[in-house]
Amino acid sequence: MFLVHLWNYIRGYVIIIAKGGVERFINICARRQILLWDIVRKDNDSAVMKASLRGFMLMRPAARKSGCRIGIVKKCGLPFFLRRFRKRRGFKAGLLFFAVLIVFFTSMIWEIEIRGCGGDTAQRIMKVLEDRDIRKGSFKTRLDPRRIASDILMNVDDVAWAGVQIHGVKMTISVQSITPRPEVVDESQCCNLVAERDGLITKVEVLAGTLKVMEGDTVTKGQLLVSGILESQNPEFGAKNVHALGRITARTWYDTKVPLSYEYTKRIRTGRTRENTYIRILNMKIGLFGNRRDFELYDSVSYDRTVKGPFNTEIPVGLTVEKLYEVTEKKVRLSAEEAEALALEKARLDLSKELSPDCRVLDERINILRSETGDAWLQLIVECEEDIAGREPLGGD
Amino acid sequence: MKLAGKEPDKGAKPRRWILGIGEKLAELFELPPDLFGNRPKVTAVGRGEVLIENFKGIMDFREDMVRINTSTGVIRITGNGITIREITSEAVIIGGKISNIDYDA
Repeated sequence: MFLVHLWNYIRGYVIIIAKGGVERFINICARRQILLWDIVRKDNDSAVMKASLRGFMLMRPAARKSGCRIGIVKKCGLPFFLRRFRKRRGFKAGLLFFAVLIVFFTSMIWEIEIRGCGGDTAQRIMKVLEDRDIRKGSFKTRLDPRRIASDILMNVDDVAWAGVQIHGVKMTISVQSITPRPEVVDESQCCNLVAERDGLITKVEVLAGTLKVMEGDTVTKGQLLVSGILESQNPEFGAKNVHALGRITARTWYDTKVPLSYEYTKRIRTGRTRENTYIRILNMKIGLFGNRRDFELYDSVSYDRTVKGPFNTEIPVGLTVEKLYEVTEKKVRLSAEEAEALALEKARLDLSKELSPDCRVLDERINILRSETGDAWLQLIVECEEDIAGREPLGGD
Repeated sequence: MKLAGKEPDKGAKPRRWILGIGEKLAELFELPPDLFGNRPKVTAVGRGEVLIENFKGIMDFREDMVRINTSTGVIRITGNGITIREITSEAVIIGGKISNIDYDA
């Protein structure tokens, strides 16, 4: 029944009042396929009923024939409802504006998803996209998925395959990383092994070539360790060039100097904070009124508040809250131990960048150096054991 | 439209005769009787709604009573707040609080 009502509402209907000879009128209408419903007797010679718009148009002859006078009580339904908006220009303009807005916003990219790779590669892919001016908010019509995919393939090294799909307002980039190729030792190329850094040799293992140093030797950087020229025992046969292979383990030393300072500026939060709020639309930030940075020195922490849309989609509209903490700098006098600990930490950090990844740290020594002027340094010496052999192509052929 | 309205009167007799045969046949083969003929079919659902199929026309319509002409006579439905819920050329639905359905009234 509800569906019937809905259908009637959509088609539109009129409530009419018929006066005089109602029964005859109803019968004629029924015979002429004019649908009437909800007929209620009002008084002795009149009745109220509902009729469809089409039925109402066909009703005139039936009314004349039955000698019945018909008046409209009310016009109901969607057609009459919409008729009201005919004159309202603003409403129509709004409707048009709404339609345009929908088309406009659905022709944009709102979300970019990168699948199948780590954050590092993803960042490089994002950079490629940015270089081509593809970001949240770019128009879809300008984008050619195949081109983007090939651009990614060309510009990001460790991607074997890239696929770009645009579904609605979401761009999905799927990539397949390359499995790293194993390093192939080209044995046909002759080479020597030379020391990559100074050291004291502790162990030698030679697979091919002529050993030129001994265990316990001190070598300097660039010194020949294993020669690729294989001398025959019988001088008549001459020499043969080979690809020298081997592992020369040596003790190496690294050192670094860090100035010791007994003063340390400490940043202390005063406890006064301030929150600034920005409205974020795509990548734009719009500051709200009352945002100020009125602290002279501050640490700031900002975090994004995103709005989760239906179906767990991320809406690129949200708030960015920036929290400022006022800080004061305070000079703190450190004791000798504290200063040394601080310097040592810094020295270790510096050295860790220098050490090669396959070396083993054997020993650490700390020296405190003082000059006449009163400046002090902390020297950190690290003793390691590592393979110092490095390939150097053999000259000639 | 006018022609269509007058047609039943013209060929009333031979048609009724043929329909009479149809009814007899339906009886013979034990078919549902409402499949043939133009006899009225009255369906009452609860006491708020009466559906009458194969009617000829409304004879009288008042707040407490409605009389409907059919091929087998006049059916009178009395009650309170009688309305015609819907009317087409084949069926009429009577609503309201119904107390009587009388034949030959």
